[in-house]
Amino acid sequence: MVYVDLKKTLLPFILPSVLIIIWFILTDALHLIPPYILPSPLNVVSAIWKLIIDGKLLMHTISTIIKVFSGIILASVVAIPLGILLGWSHTLDELTSIVISILRPIPPISWIPFSILWFGIGLSSAVFVIFIGCVFSVLVYTIDGVKRTDKVLIEAAQTLGANKWDILSKIILPSAAPYIVSGLKVGVSIALMCTVSAEMIASSNGLGYMILTASQLFQPGIVVVGMIIIGIIGILFDYLFRRAQNKIFW
Amino acid sequence: MAINVKNVSKSYVSTNKDFTALKNVDLHVNDGEFICFLGPSGCGKTTLLRIISGLEKADEGEVYDGENLVTGPSIDRGFIFQQYSLFPWYTVLENVMFGLNLNNDLSKKENLKLAEEYLESVGLVEFKNSYPHELSGGMKQRVAIIRSLILNAPILIMDEPFSAIDMLNRHNLQDQLIDIWKEGNSTILFVTHDVDEAVYLADKIVIMDKNPGRIKTILEVPLERPRHRESKEFFDFQDEVERNLGVWES
Repeated sequence: MVYVDLKKTLLPFILPSVLIIIWFILTDALHLIPPYILPSPLNVVSAIWKLIIDGKLLMHTISTIIKVFSGIILASVVAIPLGILLGWSHTLDELTSIVISILRPIPPISWIPFSILWFGIGLSSAVFVIFIGCVFSVLVYTIDGVKRTDKVLIEAAQTLGANKWDILSKIILPSAAPYIVSGLKVGVSIALMCTVSAEMIASSNGLGYMILTASQLFQPGIVVVGMIIIGIIGILFDYLFRRAQNKIFW
Repeated sequence: MAINVKNVSKSYVSTNKDFTALKNVDLHVNDGEFICFLGPSGCGKTTLLRIISGLEKADEGEVYDGENLVTGPSIDRGFIFQQYSLFPWYTVLENVMFGLNLNNDLSKKENLKLAEEYLESVGLVEFKNSYPHELSGGMKQRVAIIRSLILNAPILIMDEPFSAIDMLNRHNLQDQLIDIWKEGNSTILFVTHDVDEAVYLADKIVIMDKNPGRIKTILEVPLERPRHRESKEFFDFQDEVERNLGVWES
């Protein structure tokens, strides 16, 4: 049993370890790839060490996480109530469907010029782009979740004396919850991509900014550090939402 | 509460042709009566009960609950569905207390006690903290039944509530239902496709026919309560009901 559990836990780490070893052999060990093409693991480790010492890594990471959080929270505040409304009212859904369908596929990054015009360079501008990036997926998933509510549950609640508000809060919302969480999960991964792009253009801090400045100053080690940290943030968010999804068992 | 159904008609439009579920149906039910509805599938029994409950609107005609015109579903007309209708995100106890907590002025503690008494009566008190997906089909239906019964609605509408339950449990539930009906003063409308069940339970049996859905005849059940399934009178009357249903013709 212990052996099986251990195998299961270790399995996902085998491939990353192998990749790092190959990377190490190609660069640091045999010098087959020069550092200006691909920085070596030791370059990256020393870059991480330097960034930790001067506190920049923490600062940029926190700055990125704050932006992702602000964007996704703002998007939820708008998209979840709006999605419930549109899922509930057939008329409103029809009324807004074309506008949503047109706005949805526009890459969030193409909003960057306007976000700079409207909000200047800084936090609010980046948050706006992230908001645009994840608001539609949360919205569409919420609408879908509300529409999929089992009619018999609504009817049962009505004959048990529930008013419209009770039905919304006690039937439709819990019924749509798994879909809303899925929408948030998709939204967060989009948000993370938007954050980094937005930071490269419309910001003066964050991991995207760090990557862009490092590449301009020819510090490929720092670029790789930035990429790795973004990947790790992605895993952490994914883990959080998976935990939330496991809580919703219906 | 007495019920008056006046000249109710209802059709459904499908892609091929219109389907007349009910045509010019008149029915009077006295306060406190136990009425069973029998008939072939497509005769509109379920539609009639849904219209009486207010879950569905008639194309023509109207329904009166006592003096009041029925315009929508109400806690005064409990409805027990054929399909499972428990709220999956609530425990058994929370399901049973759903209507109570919304509608009465009793304290949470008193409602809790009442709910546990009802659960006890159907032998499910040890499952009070389970979720619906952990119960068998018959158990789910028992919970759904007491969730409505506990509200003491003057009218109780039941759409083949015991069809998914095995015979032994079905007979127990039938006896429990009769006990509850005798204790209170509710009017019960009960759809079934089981002649035995109708003869065992009903004061009157409404026999319906299809194309278009209509009431064919109403039979008064001449048997004393408590009824005995083994008695000759029971068999004889069952034969009469089957003759009226047209079982022997086809």
